[in-house]
This record gives sequence, structure tokens and C-alpha cells, in this order.
Amino acid sequence: MGDKWFEVHGLCKNFAGIRAILDFSCSLGQGEILGLIGPNGAGKTTFFNIVSGFIAPDRGQVLFKGVETTRIAPYRIANLGIRRTFQDLRLIRQITVLDNVMLSMPNQPGERLTKVFFRWSNSRKKDGENRSEAMALLAKAGLAEEANIAAGDLSYGQQKLLSLVCCLSAKAELLLLDEPIAGIAPEMIRKILKVISSLRERRMSVILIEHNFEAVMQICDRVIFMDLGTKVSEGTPERVRDDPKVIQAYTN
Amino acid sequence: MDILSGPLHGPIGPGRNDRVGRVRLVWQLVVNGIITGSMCALVGIGFGLIYSVGRFFHFAHGMVFTLGAYFVYLFSSLFSLSIQFSIILAIIFAPFVGCLIEIVVYRPLRGKGAGSLVILIASLGIYVVLQNTISIVFGDSTKSIRAGAVHEGIVFCGAHITTPQMAMVLICVLSVAMLTGILHKTRIGHLMRAAGSDPGLAAALGIDINRVILYAIVIASLLGSAAGILTAVDVDITPSMGLQPLMLGVIAAIVGGIGSIPGIGLGGMLLGIAYHLGVWKISSQWQDAIAFTILLVFLLIRPRGFLGRRINGAIL
Amino acid sequence: MEYLIHICVLICIYVILAISLDLITGYTGMLSIAHAAFYGVGAYIAAIMSLNLHSPFIVNIGCAATLSGLLGLLVGIPSLRIRDDYFVVATFAFQVIILSILNNWMSLTGGSMGLSGIPQPQILGFRISSHLHFLVLACLFCILILWISLRIAHSPFGRVLKAIREDEIFAQAAGKNVAAFKILVFVIGAGMASIAGVIYAYYIGFIDPTSFSVMESIFIISIVIIGGAGSLWGSVVAATVLVVLPELLRFIGLPGAMAANIRQIIYGSLLVAFMLWRPRGFLGNYGFHR
Repeated sequence: MGDKWFEVHGLCKNFAGIRAILDFSCSLGQGEILGLIGPNGAGKTTFFNIVSGFIAPDRGQVLFKGVETTRIAPYRIANLGIRRTFQDLRLIRQITVLDNVMLSMPNQPGERLTKVFFRWSNSRKKDGENRSEAMALLAKAGLAEEANIAAGDLSYGQQKLLSLVCCLSAKAELLLLDEPIAGIAPEMIRKILKVISSLRERRMSVILIEHNFEAVMQICDRVIFMDLGTKVSEGTPERVRDDPKVIQAYTN
Repeated sequence: MDILSGPLHGPIGPGRNDRVGRVRLVWQLVVNGIITGSMCALVGIGFGLIYSVGRFFHFAHGMVFTLGAYFVYLFSSLFSLSIQFSIILAIIFAPFVGCLIEIVVYRPLRGKGAGSLVILIASLGIYVVLQNTISIVFGDSTKSIRAGAVHEGIVFCGAHITTPQMAMVLICVLSVAMLTGILHKTRIGHLMRAAGSDPGLAAALGIDINRVILYAIVIASLLGSAAGILTAVDVDITPSMGLQPLMLGVIAAIVGGIGSIPGIGLGGMLLGIAYHLGVWKISSQWQDAIAFTILLVFLLIRPRGFLGRRINGAIL
Repeated sequence: MEYLIHICVLICIYVILAISLDLITGYTGMLSIAHAAFYGVGAYIAAIMSLNLHSPFIVNIGCAATLSGLLGLLVGIPSLRIRDDYFVVATFAFQVIILSILNNWMSLTGGSMGLSGIPQPQILGFRISSHLHFLVLACLFCILILWISLRIAHSPFGRVLKAIREDEIFAQAAGKNVAAFKILVFVIGAGMASIAGVIYAYYIGFIDPTSFSVMESIFIISIVIIGGAGSLWGSVVAATVLVVLPELLRFIGLPGAMAANIRQIIYGSLLVAFMLWRPRGFLGNYGFHR
């Protein structure tokens, strides 16, 4: 078994003969922010899909806190403390912002049918607690005023911020953020980057897929450069930036 | 149920216990099965074609079958035109209604960006409206078109088969061959397959999706109406007669592979044969349950059917 | 007057059917045309038990709901593997199969002849005999089921259902056991629908398979869709309107058989019209978009 907090060994994945990931390994400690960069189609999102349980790898292992999570159902992995966002910004647009945040919380007695009818007062109380917690999170993120509007009515940048808040409401220990600042205004980029950086103090770890290299340089402790499904370079942001292999991959 | 167990499929002789008699019986059942299978395959092929090209389930397709039958009845019995002329008119009018459905309902829906579920729901509504309209106009009771003497037909290797029944099988086989040829060898066929496999890309390349879908519906409706017309000329008709061929056609399409015309044709035949052998072996009414159980099994285990392409894409 | 009470009983029955289907289709987004099968199973179990075992009403309803719930579990399982369009076909298959069983298991169900002479129910010594008694019974169940459904819809459980409807993958990523929720909602919906069947069986005193066909399923889904998928009150209103409407037609002198056809044409047309102009129905908030 592994001795690292989060580690991945020898991941391989093919899609109908097309190689998506080949022999990919990495590891992460608590309170670390790891940047995952590389050209489109490099396998970064596939990696997230495997770690979060939506796709099973052909070979390889994922270990979180010493437990193998490789082929566990996605919802179980989410409840183990690994949460993710999606490149195409998934949210429940039909319900309110507050509902989205509360939805992402674990430990909700009101979600179990028996508790909807029996032991009503207890589940109401817990519901109220969850609600205040969710509101507090929204306030910290600056979305308190939008709490009761439909998530679909938020601006794109606000929606991205919301999906990050949803991960936080789950008290996730490892966050997989897929392009959290792509396509949004600089003001919101600053806000989101600030939130991500602050996670270090809370001993939460982040793996970040981003194309915005400046942002990656700014907040990541380490960076992995992926291309064609393999790890090409790994190290501090500066080292990877100056790595001739990386430069070559980009100019190809 | 009436279409499949009525007097249509030749005399099943008195229970003869000798070998020859049994073989003859089985052969007659197989032939009956091929006939029924052809009828359902004609409907199923159309259904599958529409799904392949337009990516939606046109449940109202069963109505072109019924309309084909009732148009023949209308023109021959109520307008007293000759049977041949009635058939010609029916083969024009019934598919016309099919096109009308596409133009009046499905096309505007697609224009509004309606998903396939919305179109499916609309098609259910259209089916209900059309079937009940026929009930009101013609009444619920069974009608029949007696074009002179009862068709005697021929004896084909010991099995009885009437002229309309032969035509049904022939048209089915020809349609499968021709349609497969059209889809793979002609320009319009290529357009249809392109539109079906990637509508976005096809539209970007300048293919008029609406026109292509209309072609598919025209072809499908022609085949479906033909089946209905031949059935009308052979047996009785009722407003709900289209439901059974539609259901079996859908099963044939899914089991045979919804993207594969030959697959659906084959699936239909096998289904028909299984149905009639089933009448003989088990009490006649359980076939529906069995047919649909087969469908469920296929949906769960092999949604692309025997010969079809992949239909469920990746989730991410 | 009795005629009015009769209509109200029917309204109660269809309200129950509609809101139970709304939980499955409107809230969780799983379009199902198998609902009449659950309705029928409930009716038949009540009839069979009361005719053969002479068991009390409460026991019959309990068994009907349980067995129907199990059936709901069965129907829900394909939803985990098959997506929308094909899932509708699967529910269609279940509907046909179950109806086939009702039609063909002669010894148990009386086949196409149905079952008649269903005795009047007795609850705690009180015999339910008149139309008014049945109305009270039907209303009580209707209100109970409406209350349960409202509680479910407005709870965190209901919130998860709505999440599944819009984005299953997000729901999974948020830690929800989507499979369990889907199956559970089918079980509940099926169980509730069977209660409508029990009431129907006792009320009419006679049942046959034609009342529970696929056309009936399409009628029930029409009520849900027209009233508005995802709105329980929408289902209540639509059920009332669609039950009352054909009765009004009778008053303008249409022959009985024609009224049935016209009723179907009305809801069929409404279905198409709503899909064209307002897929989310009157009061609903889900338009079956994907």
C-alpha cells in the first residue's frame, strides 16, 4: 500500500484503440496545489474522470489515504472526500444557488426517505444547520445575494465560482478543478484564485487543470506537463516552464 | 392480435399426427411467419430509418399502416372506385399524411431545439389523435374490403399463400435490397447516413437536415402504407390495427439493429416466425409478452441489436 | 348528484395516478409509459385477494402497494443502464408484458373477461357501500398521497431528484447514489399508483384488462405533462380538467362512444400543442429538454 496521501500508479486507458493515457503516475500530499497542464487531448480530463470514478482505467491504481479507489462508483469517491468540477461547467441550473451548495453537502438526513417522514424534527434541525453553513460559504464567496436565484441565472463567472463553492461545502479534502478560470473576467479570476490558494491553510489539496499558465505559475506548488497521455515533465512551475521537452511539445 | 391469428394465413389442417402432416404444418407456420414478419419488417424498417436519420422515435409511424388500409377502404367501398385505383390513391395519400406530420409537427419542434423526448411525446399525441379520428370517421367496428372472390392464392411447396401475402413478402425483400442500395450507393443515401451519424457536422457541411429527414419519412411511410394496404386487401381492418405491426416493428428494429436495414428485415422475419410457431406450441396469447421480454433483454444487454451500430455514446 | 360524486371519485383516482407519475417523470425526469400497469396490478391484487381470500381492505391495500412497489423496482432497473428514448420503449415493454399477464393468466385474473363481483370493503367494521362513502375514502387517500408527495418533493430527497433530472453526472459527483434514488422513486410511484387501482376495483366492483392498457398509460402521462412536469399541483389541476372535460361533452349530446374518442383526441392534441408551445405544461418547470 502507498505511504503518500494521494497517489496514482501506472494508469493506462485506451478508447477504441486510441491511447488516452499511458503509464501515468503521480502523487500528492496534503495542502498541496498541483497544476496539470498540456495541450488539448493530452489526457488531463480523462485523468480526472478516472480519479473521480467516472471511467475505469485499463490498468493502474488510484490510492487515496491508503485506500484503493480505482474502480469505486463515482458517488462513493465523492463521499470519500474527492470532489471535482467539470470542464463544461456542470451545475443544476433549475434550482437555486443555495440549493446547489446544499445539494453537494454530505450527511443530509432529509435525503433519506425515512427521515422525510419519521424523526422529522431532527432532520429539520440538521437541514437548518446545513442551510446556515451553506449561506456562510456563499457569503465568503460573495454570492450571498444570489443565494435564492436559479443557478442558471448567474453569470458564467459566478457559475464557475459556485461550482467551486459546491466542492467546498462538501468539506472535500482533494479537489479536482477542471479549468476553473477559463473564459471568465479578470476580476473573477482573481477571486477564484484567491479561494483556491486559501485552501492550502486548511490542509486541502487541489489538482488544477488550466491553460492559463500565468495563473498556474502564481498558485501551484508543483506542475505536471502532460502530452499524448504521458507525463512529459514534473517539478516547480519555473522548472517545467523552462524544460526543453515542454517547449518542444508546445512548438510541435 | 387479430391480424396475426385471423383466417389470413391459410388453413391449418386438422391435427394430423403423422410426420408429413406435422412437417407440413410447421412449414405453413413458417410461411405465415415470413408473411407476418414481412409486414412488421416493412413498418420496422421505416421506423428504424427515421431514427437512424433523424435521431427520434416516430411512434405515430404505426398510423401510416392504418391509414393505408383505411384509404383503400374509403376509396373502394365508399367511393366505389376500383380496387386497383383505390390502392394507387392510398399509396399516395397515406404517405402524404406521414409527410404532413413531419412538416407540421416535427420540423417546427426541431426548429425550436426540442430534444428527442419532446418529439417522442408529440408522436404519442399524434398517434392518439389519428387513431381516434379514424374511429370517429369510420367507426370502431371491423371493416373489410372484399375485392371480389376471396383470394385463393397458390400453394407454394405445400403451404398456402394468397396473392397479397406474396406481394407483402416480395415488397419487403425488394425494399430491404433497394433501401440498402440507396443508403450505400446513392448520393441521397450518403446524405441520410451523414445526417444520422453526426447532425451537427452534417449541417455545418451544408446538408439540409430537414430535407433529408423528409426523404426518410417519405420512404418509411411508403413502406408502412404498402404493408397496411396489402393487409387491408387481405383481411379485415380496425382503427387500432397499426399498433401491433408498430410494436413488432419496433422490436424488430431494436433486436435487428436500428441502424441496419437488413438487420431489421431479418429481425422482422424471425420475429414473425417465432410468433407463429409460438401460437402452435404455447397458448396463443403469450406471444406479446415473450416478444417484449426479448426486447427488454436486448435493450439491457445489447442495445445496438444484432447488426446495428453503437447508439449510446460515452457519458463524458 | 350521484353522478357528480362519481366524477369526483374518478378525479381522486386520476389525481393519485398523476402525482405518483409526476414524481417519477416530472421530478426525476424518467419518462415512463408503464404507469397503467402499476394501476392495474393494484386493482387486480385487491380484487383477487378480496374475492378469493376475503382478506380485509387494509391487508389488500398493503399487499397491492408492496407487490406494485416490487414491480416498480423491476421497471426502475433498466433506467440505470438505458437512456431516455430507449428507456421509454423499455417501460412500454413492461406495460405490454404486465398487461399480457393480466390478460392471459386466466385462472388468476379471469383473463379478458376480468373479475366481477368485488365485495364492498369494510374498514374497522364500517361498510363502504354508497357513492358518498367511496368519495370520502377516495378523498382521504388522495389527500394522504398528495401530502406524502409534497413532503417528498420539498425535502432534500426531492432536491436530489431534481438534480438527477437535470444532470445525473453532477448528482453523482456531488456524492448522491443516483441508482438508489431512481429505483426508490419508482417503487414509491408504483406503490401509490396501485392504491388508485385498489380504490378503482372496489368502487366499480368489476375490472378487466382494457382499463389498464397502454392507451391508459399515455392518458396518465398526458395529464402529468399538460399539468406540468415537476408540479404536483399542476397534475391535480390537469387531472380534474381532463376527467371533467369529456363528461361535459356528454352534456352537449354526443353519443357515448364518440365522447371517448373525442376525449382522446383532445388530450392527444393538447399533448402535441404543449410540446410545440410550452413543453413544461401549465404549471410545470421541466420541459424534457436535454
